Amino acid sequence: MKQTIKKNRDQLLDSWFHATINTYPAESARILGKKSDRFDNPIGSATRETLEDVLNLITENFSRESLEKALDPVIRIRAVQAFDPANAVSFVFALKEIGESVIEKADIIKFYRLVDEIALAAFNRYMKCREDVFLLKATESKRRIHRAFERAGLVAELSEGDLLGSKQS
Amino acid sequence: MADELTPDEALDKIDFSPRSSSEPRNWLDTTKSVQIRPGMYCYAAKPESVETLGLPNARQWNPLEDDWKLPENWQEILHEGIKERLERFRTFKIFMDICVRCGACADKCHFFLGTGDPKNMPVLRAELLRSIYRNDFTFAGKLLKNIPGGKRLLGSREMSLEALKEMWYYFFQCTECRRCSVFCPYGIDTAEITIIGRELLNLLGLNIDWIATPVSNCYQTGNHLGIQPHAFKDMLDFFVEDIEDITGVDCTPQYQKKGADILFITPSGDVFADPGTYTCQGYMILFKYLKDKYGLDVTWSTYASEGGNFGFFTSHETMKRLNAKMYAEAKRLGVKWILGGECGHMWRVINQYMDTMNGPADFLEVPVNPITGTRFENAASTKMVHICEFTADLIKHGKLELDKSRNSNRVLTFHDSCNPARGMGLLDEPRYCIQACADQFYEMPPNTIREQTFCCGSGAGLNAGENIELRMAGALPRANAVKYVHEKFGVNSLATICAIDRAALPTMCEYWVPEVDVIGVHELVGNALILPGEKERTEDLRMEPLPGVEEE
Repeated sequence: MKQTIKKNRDQLLDSWFHATINTYPAESARILGKKSDRFDNPIGSATRETLEDVLNLITENFSRESLEKALDPVIRIRAVQAFDPANAVSFVFALKEIGESVIEKADIIKFYRLVDEIALAAFNRYMKCREDVFLLKATESKRRIHRAFERAGLVAELSEGDLLGSKQS
Repeated sequence: MADELTPDEALDKIDFSPRSSSEPRNWLDTTKSVQIRPGMYCYAAKPESVETLGLPNARQWNPLEDDWKLPENWQEILHEGIKERLERFRTFKIFMDICVRCGACADKCHFFLGTGDPKNMPVLRAELLRSIYRNDFTFAGKLLKNIPGGKRLLGSREMSLEALKEMWYYFFQCTECRRCSVFCPYGIDTAEITIIGRELLNLLGLNIDWIATPVSNCYQTGNHLGIQPHAFKDMLDFFVEDIEDITGVDCTPQYQKKGADILFITPSGDVFADPGTYTCQGYMILFKYLKDKYGLDVTWSTYASEGGNFGFFTSHETMKRLNAKMYAEAKRLGVKWILGGECGHMWRVINQYMDTMNGPADFLEVPVNPITGTRFENAASTKMVHICEFTADLIKHGKLELDKSRNSNRVLTFHDSCNPARGMGLLDEPRYCIQACADQFYEMPPNTIREQTFCCGSGAGLNAGENIELRMAGALPRANAVKYVHEKFGVNSLATICAIDRAALPTMCEYWVPEVDVIGVHELVGNALILPGEKERTEDLRMEPLPGVEEE
């Protein structure tokens, strides 16, 4: 199966990329789906590069951690966009249908399991990104203003360290 | 007003297919599109803050509720407001008329590139207002609105409550950064459309609190954070102690000194918010150096204690009121000219509006650097010089002794802040200063810097906490370029000359490129500048060991 994926990688990538970009509204997908400079189109380029990395990774030895790491750029973007959690990671499942045209019948259950494994890694990473967002939201104003006041001795409450607890980075 | 996010609301994201099924291509249809999503909008202005400024319709309201508590005749107010502005501002009239919807701007906006929401294409954001203009103010609109299909043909619509809510939502998803205008073949400045749009919304009391309360604070106490003069002085005194610990030199500044040569004004963020505080210490070190070496007489003022101007994001009149204190204080103190700190929108206000709003400042002199003799012709009328121009001029004339090695742990890149870059063309001076203070400097790709710089995603009053998803999505194009130079050249420090950037970019970096730190240009200057009589420094301004010191 891994050989089949390797052999058909470009075709799989193309279809998977378009399925993913088409989760955006039609007017946006038209622009984001273009192969333009990676700095003029960060969503499009990060999506393509990430999906390519994932396809390469699943033909080798991989762990859930390495999958998560490979998925990070695209999940990190989708985690701050207007997708609900299901739609943020639903693009992974599109790979099942795309794979059906190239994967041999005997391997198809194995392939589905592989896609499920990618989906679980994507879900893990999505939660991590959402936690990042909430943590940043909770701590940024304290970090910015409170620390300056605290240093100047203008506030005598809990220190910033106390407020942020073990999460302080 | 605190809106607790319920789990259901957290899941309640936007339906990206807002068109009605009968007309799937008609984006003007608002029947399903007004979906105000938590994480994307800022809380409503507190009534006290709106009242302080004497602006209309101060009341508690919540954007998530159906009833926005608008005045009964709100449509009439808005209609009159648009009419008045069409007569007052020729640009507004032209920008309403000439767009041909070519789409050149569509993919240039960081909010569109980051959110993927088509209504964040500058052309569509402007169309929200333009569609109403066409309907109510053009001959074609008046003619076609009674013919079936006429409105669709012209792209016009009624001023409905849904249309109003949509304008509110999207005009507060624009940072007025003007990147789109660089690419518009007609030179339409979409930022000005947002500026007018927000001004119109303010006629109905529809401001956000992250703008209204700083404006109210600034109006009452002179700065956005509402810090009173004694606390302002306390903070600077504290910096004096820190600097003395690090350098052994007392850099106590002067306040409200009548007859000083120069009045220095910087955004209050530099005084109260990290990491801007280190940039502020950089200014203090520079002024001490210039005083000891060349006798330069600079004064600070606890009254003109804010360079920023959130009035700019409210209305022209509010901007004018907040800006007036700069000239008033300069006049009262009898200084020769004004020097301004590292700030973003402050410079757009100064460079493009101050002179005609509160000027001419003919009681001030055309700025001349008394140390080098350079005459700042570009500031001949406003009488206010950017500190990066001033410092670059000093460096160019060999007037500063700098030890670059103190910044050798920093691998730098420079983020052009939208307003100094596109609003006044300040492109090379900050780079010149950085390169005089540090050896390792790498540019981000050309389509992400200088005139084409990407906004931090938090400007124009949108650096609140509650809209963090909007900010992170909007910062994606900038972060994407930072990540590239981080991976390619090992860049670990993002230098910038804007107080909002210094506040917003650390959070951006933490989410997108956690290995990169944010630093002001004058923090680098403060580290590198060799003060007369200083002790051997072992720490930088952040009180971290200087490069090379930790091993000893």
